[in-house]
Amino acid sequence: MVASSTARTGAGGQTLVVDLAYPPDPGRAPFTRADLVVTGVDHSGTSYEVRLYLDNPGADIDTPRDPEAGYAGRYTVFGHGGCYGDEGHCEVPEAAGDPTDVRPVHQLTPLDTFVTVTDALRRVLDRDGRLSTVTMVPVSLTPRRSDRSPAPELLEFADLSLHTYLAATDLDVPTPG
Amino acid sequence: MGVRRSAASLSVAELTDLRDAFTALYGISDDRGYAFLAGVHGLPLPQYCKHGSILFLPWHRAYLYFMERAMIDALRRSRDDPAAAVSLPWWDWSSAAAHADGGGLPPGWLAPADGGANALASGPMTLGDADLEQVRTNLPGAVTDGADPVTVRDPDTPDQLPKATTVNRALSATSFTEFSQIVEGIHNGVHGWVGGAMSAVPIAAYDPIFWSHHAMIDRLWYLWQLSPQGADPSAALLDTALPPWPMTVRQTLSVPNLGYDYAAQVVG
Repeated sequence: MVASSTARTGAGGQTLVVDLAYPPDPGRAPFTRADLVVTGVDHSGTSYEVRLYLDNPGADIDTPRDPEAGYAGRYTVFGHGGCYGDEGHCEVPEAAGDPTDVRPVHQLTPLDTFVTVTDALRRVLDRDGRLSTVTMVPVSLTPRRSDRSPAPELLEFADLSLHTYLAATDLDVPTPG
Repeated sequence: MGVRRSAASLSVAELTDLRDAFTALYGISDDRGYAFLAGVHGLPLPQYCKHGSILFLPWHRAYLYFMERAMIDALRRSRDDPAAAVSLPWWDWSSAAAHADGGGLPPGWLAPADGGANALASGPMTLGDADLEQVRTNLPGAVTDGADPVTVRDPDTPDQLPKATTVNRALSATSFTEFSQIVEGIHNGVHGWVGGAMSAVPIAAYDPIFWSHHAMIDRLWYLWQLSPQGADPSAALLDTALPPWPMTVRQTLSVPNLGYDYAAQVVG
């Protein structure tokens, strides 16, 4: 697993460019599958998608979703569209560690997701020998399509990491658009 | 309960039964009716649905089970026919028909061009004033303006729906956790694709297409369960309750035990 340590805003302040070096020292291990794993994803607001580009720090909402642009796939967050309760209703409580606490998990507990990027990673490695950055392009999925736009304010997560696997799995197929 | 069929293969009579069942549910204002069932997913609070959770698939299977039961009851009562039957069809958004020009939503769920009524084209948004005001503020374009609001859609182009290769990737998952995460991601994308009310957790279930979208998700889980890599959730999860439904995860695992099935193929 390779975890990100630094990130910076990208094109027009509307994207996030994450430094993610692969292969790490001391070198590349063979893999049959690679996933970009995003943890701690916020889903409290408007729904949104995050388009992922490998080694294309200038990618933005207008960048084609095709392999030549480094497009690796996207994940979609089904959002809650704001808080509908009283004050404090949408604050996710810290895990109490209390074994007698059998309350359901809070609805807004951040989630984890992943995008399989095997072919996109292989393309970058074949071309450049190594991966340097992952650009995250968040786009809102508002009820009205005409309102959809770059949405850096929705892009909240704890960590992005690259996981490579050496396993026989049919999941190693091109990532759909 | 019966056999769930593809939305694309319903007969005229089956589509009529489905529309009549939804119409009957719309007319019931107590906890057997549409407002209650749609509200369980989100608004009005409390919100019970499970997303971003390993309970995503079991919870929604239980949800559809009770919805289907309510549909049958409502249809029988409205027709005064104790033998009336109806099932939730699935919307296969990965099919060639859905991806073709002019595809997308199943035709039976569209508003008639002549302006006539179709209970499957939109659902009544029966929220209280405070919730409705907040929905209109937070989610403009999700519901119609004025009195007696109904759900709105703003679908993307058919080529943006999940592809068969995406579904196959999910069906190739080698653990329940992995399958659940992949399928939930696909599911999220379809909610965004439909747009309107479907694009937001608190009000998505008010749109009638919600149920056929989730029947597709449930069917994929069923197909994965039948596949060589199909497996149960971890043992630690099996006795977890799925409120408000009086069921545990374990009780959702067998589709035959729940009394319904998915048609493999319908000819003629």
